[in-house]
Amino acid sequence: AASSEGSASEAPQTVSSLQTVASFLLEISRILNTGLDMETLSICVRLCEQGINPEALSSVIKELRKATEALKVEIHMFTHSE
Amino acid sequence: MATPDQKSPNVLLQSLCCRILGRSEADVAQQFQYAVRVIGSNFAPTVERDEFLVAEKIKKELTRQRREADAALFSELHRKLHSQVSSYATLFAQALPRDAHSTPYYYARPQTLPLNYQERSAPSAQSSGSLGSSGISSIGVHTLNGPPPPPPSLLPGQSHPGPGTGDCLRQQLGARLAWTLTASQPSLQTTTSKGVPSATSRSVTRPRRDGDAGGAVEVTEAALVRDILYVFQGIDGRNIKMSSADNCYKVEGKANLNRSLRDTAMRLAELGWLHNKIRKYTDQRSLDRSFGLVGQSFCAALHQELKEYYRLLSVLHSQLQLEDDQGVNLGFESSLTLRRLLVWTYDPKIRLKTLAALVDHCQGRKGGELASAVHAYTKTGDPSMRSLVQHILSLVSHPVLSFLYRWIYDGELEDAHHEFFVASDPTVKTDRLWHDKYTLRTSMIPSFMTMGQCRKVLLIGKSINFLHQVCHDQTPPAKVIAVARSAEPLQDAADLFTDLENAFQGKIDAAYFETSKYLLDVLNRKYSLLDHMQAVRRYLLLGQGDFIRHLMDLLKPELARPATTLYQHNLTGILETAVRATNAQFDSPEILRRLDVRLLEVSPGDTGWDVFSLDYHVDGPIATVFTRECMSHYLRVFNFLWRAKRMEYILTDIRKGHMCNAKLLRNLPEFSGVLHHCHILASEMVHFIHQMQYYITFEVLECSWDELWNQVQQAQDLDHIIAAHEAFLGTVISRCLLDADSRALLNQLRAVFDQIIELQSTQDAICRAALEELQRRLQFEDKKQQREAEGQWGVTAAEEEQESQRVREFRESIPKMCSQLRILTHFYQGVVQQFLVLLTTSPDESLRFLSFRLDFNEHYRAREPRLRVSLGARGRRSSHT
Repeated sequence: AASSEGSASEAPQTVSSLQTVASFLLEISRILNTGLDMETLSICVRLCEQGINPEALSSVIKELRKATEALKVEIHMFTHSE
Repeated sequence: MATPDQKSPNVLLQSLCCRILGRSEADVAQQFQYAVRVIGSNFAPTVERDEFLVAEKIKKELTRQRREADAALFSELHRKLHSQVSSYATLFAQALPRDAHSTPYYYARPQTLPLNYQERSAPSAQSSGSLGSSGISSIGVHTLNGPPPPPPSLLPGQSHPGPGTGDCLRQQLGARLAWTLTASQPSLQTTTSKGVPSATSRSVTRPRRDGDAGGAVEVTEAALVRDILYVFQGIDGRNIKMSSADNCYKVEGKANLNRSLRDTAMRLAELGWLHNKIRKYTDQRSLDRSFGLVGQSFCAALHQELKEYYRLLSVLHSQLQLEDDQGVNLGFESSLTLRRLLVWTYDPKIRLKTLAALVDHCQGRKGGELASAVHAYTKTGDPSMRSLVQHILSLVSHPVLSFLYRWIYDGELEDAHHEFFVASDPTVKTDRLWHDKYTLRTSMIPSFMTMGQCRKVLLIGKSINFLHQVCHDQTPPAKVIAVARSAEPLQDAADLFTDLENAFQGKIDAAYFETSKYLLDVLNRKYSLLDHMQAVRRYLLLGQGDFIRHLMDLLKPELARPATTLYQHNLTGILETAVRATNAQFDSPEILRRLDVRLLEVSPGDTGWDVFSLDYHVDGPIATVFTRECMSHYLRVFNFLWRAKRMEYILTDIRKGHMCNAKLLRNLPEFSGVLHHCHILASEMVHFIHQMQYYITFEVLECSWDELWNQVQQAQDLDHIIAAHEAFLGTVISRCLLDADSRALLNQLRAVFDQIIELQSTQDAICRAALEELQRRLQFEDKKQQREAEGQWGVTAAEEEQESQRVREFRESIPKMCSQLRILTHFYQGVVQQFLVLLTTSPDESLRFLSFRLDFNEHYRAREPRLRVSLGARGRRSSHT
């Protein structure tokens, strides 16, 4: 009970702290050139919290990006071939 | 898009795909399938699991890409994250580090492990009420045993059905915590805000710690390593202590170690024992005030070596420290094992062994002895040991060499601790400086210097001091100054043992040569040593014949008186007259100044002849060569020579008398027998004395003097001169029968001399009587003639009667005279024979030859049966005849 009270009293601070933490994370990811924006980053964080292997997740993201590139090229070729 | 919260992973994944691909949900089906497939598969982790290492890697990479600002920013953010996280972990405040650079492992050390363990159970107990206890306990279980838990996708499922928003928030917090701390610990979300520091789970990844978490009795290798590092310095460790009974290090009995560890630890502990020994020695010696410079330099050398050893120890210590700080990142094995220590300390052990052996050998020694002891240890075949000991030796011999150079070039001896091999006796005054003041202290002679070198060194310093104090000459020779300036003891100390000591010998020789030459120069120029030597010979050894003869002539009436009536000043006056009248006046006044008369001690019954002596005064540097003993020897020799000369003189007088009176006494025909007898005896004596004089003058004096002169001319230093001079005197004395061995001979000779004197007096008496008789007869005749000339009777009957009476008396006294002479002759001959016998048995060759000369026609041999015994193979009769 005491712990929950303690955590409750910390609750109003936690939202701002959460945001601070989130901003930290964004900053770090920017430094590391991950290319992740805020939303994607938050999705990733949630996925990891839920137990997804982060390495697997990062390889997935890389694959998806590659696919995006391929698609873009395809579209570019498609539009330019006309 | 729907809020990302509360979505299943599939939904999230799909929205991720949409975002990245930039398409709607419907188009991403293919990629979505692929993504699900990838994620579902078992992924082996290839990335580093340690957060700290990852962060470090990132920073390194950033700096490598020259994005230092970004690196700083990154570390700042990292730190902030940590602080954000840690503000939730208030229960673990003391364990969590505030510094981003220290790892979470910090608080997972063995000492703090139990703490974490307990505290972990507290929140688990607290939170068990609010959440499913299974989750937490499962965490607890996971963190304690074995490998990290697989990404439990099940657990989130368990924890998700949480009550309300508060829990959602808590979950989020937990989620945030989980994400920041480790990738593999999502289960943390199940805890309360007091999150479990997942780093504790890391402790399981270090199997080494398992051992520590085990029993307290077993001593691990790590603990032993720590102990050994203390033992290396001589401090008792926790398990390994010094047992003074056995004088070795021992492992405490109750610790159960396996045998090999124990043995290895013992071997390593030897190093500590050696270290202690050396340390004890240097500490003891530093307290000892009288240890001296050599000893101090030895201790300094040992200290240097110990410093190197300490350096090694500090490297080992820092290695250990680093490990403790970093934890296990170096792998599962620590880099400091007992075996590794054994290998790394092998060389230092050999060095310390050598040093300890040296210390043992050098116990209780100091000064030159210490240097010899160290030098003894350089005679080894092992090149590393030899170079070590040589290095120490060069340091140790440095003070000895500096003493040496000081002594050689300046003649100064500042040796408060009696370490140098030259000792100075402060009680000795300047007149004995050369002989007594400086001696060799043989115990302090280092073994790398030979005795000859040491003697030379002693001589050089002595000469310099002699020049300064006795000759009052302060200027050192020019060459010596030049050499002195170039002398550098420390360099020479090192060179001394590498270049076969030739340069060193050369230095000593050069200094010796220069200094001695200078000294001899000074002695000859300023003090005319050689001139004085010649003067002594001329006067004391009766070399200046005309002067001596004249002196004797003048002194004869004086010395015939009893000794007590003689006055020194009279005699001195006579001496000066003699000097002026002869060639002696041309001598330098310096020499003549020193010539003097000395009256010996008077015993009753002495005449002047017995007490008279010449003297030669010496002082200053000359007195070093003509010491007091030398002068007393000279006086004895003078005495002897003077006596012999006197005999010669007497016999000359007798001869003179004979020649004067012969004609006159021809008129006394009855007297001729006596006279003849006298002549014969006198001739014998003359012959004897003649031979003796020849012997003394030529065989003794001239030969010895020649030798002395040669040696003095060739002498290289003062010691040579002194030695030659003493040899000269020794020969002279022994040949003049003045030494203790020839006492019998000397007595015999004295007896002969006495006989000669006896003869002189007898002959005087006889001649007087004869002359008187002659005189009277002549008178008688004269009177007779006169009377007859006057026409009277020449002689009256009474006068005639008287005359014939007197003549008859005279004639009767002649046989008495004859017998007197005969007795004298007999006695004399007996003495001479005895003398000859003694001569033939003497060990000295020249004396034996003297006997031949004395008895050239075997006159005595005929009379003396003992002389007829044949001579042995060496021409020498045995003394028992």
